[in-house]
Amino acid sequence: MEENKDTESKVKVEIEDMGPVKITGKFILKDLQRGTETSPGEVLLCTCRRTLTPPFCDRSHEKKA
Amino acid sequence: MSAGERKYTNGEITVYWKPDACIHATYCFRELIEVFDPGRRPWVDMKGAPTDTIIKVVNMCPTEALAWKWNDESKNHEIGPAQTNHIKFRRPELLEDEATRETEIPVTVKIMVDGPIVIKGTFELTYKGNKKVITDSLVSICRCGASDIQPYCDGQHRKTGFTG
Repeated sequence: MEENKDTESKVKVEIEDMGPVKITGKFILKDLQRGTETSPGEVLLCTCRRTLTPPFCDRSHEKKA
Repeated sequence: MSAGERKYTNGEITVYWKPDACIHATYCFRELIEVFDPGRRPWVDMKGAPTDTIIKVVNMCPTEALAWKWNDESKNHEIGPAQTNHIKFRRPELLEDEATRETEIPVTVKIMVDGPIVIKGTFELTYKGNKKVITDSLVSICRCGASDIQPYCDGQHRKTGFTG
């Protein structure tokens, strides 16, 4: 049980080539631009500036420019 | 000095730059673009700010990519524990206890205003299938798409006028 808990809380940051940053695990997300603080457990953050829902990815990068 | 290492002086202090150690935390240029400007060559201008301001910002560097020393060697022996960065460089023995301690620091992900994603703590970072473990440190991830050192921030968002 303890091991499972550790695995779940361990933070993983995965960055796709030409895609968003996926962060999973136990972390605090502080958005200084919008003044919010949350602990979402999993997020996809935009890195291509095309999202309509910043700072989150909305898959706009998959559309042709 | 290792390959690519540089030093810069204003006569009073010398700032040492080890590019291999940089994790792109970006504190240096976010705090003091007048001195640390990645878009300029040379990128460090020691005339850009007073000595105490340069010391303050170099001390923010979480790695030993940036470090400083007094040019007057005798003053280097007067340093105290508050000057963390300087101690790592000049008196590593003072940090031994701290380096071996067990830490349970929560990971924080900060969305900077019109800037990068700054991830701080201990976590696993995978980019293009290459995995590495970041221990009690931080990285800045580009959010504007313009960085030349992907996936890290190199300050291009200032030039491209990124908002978001």
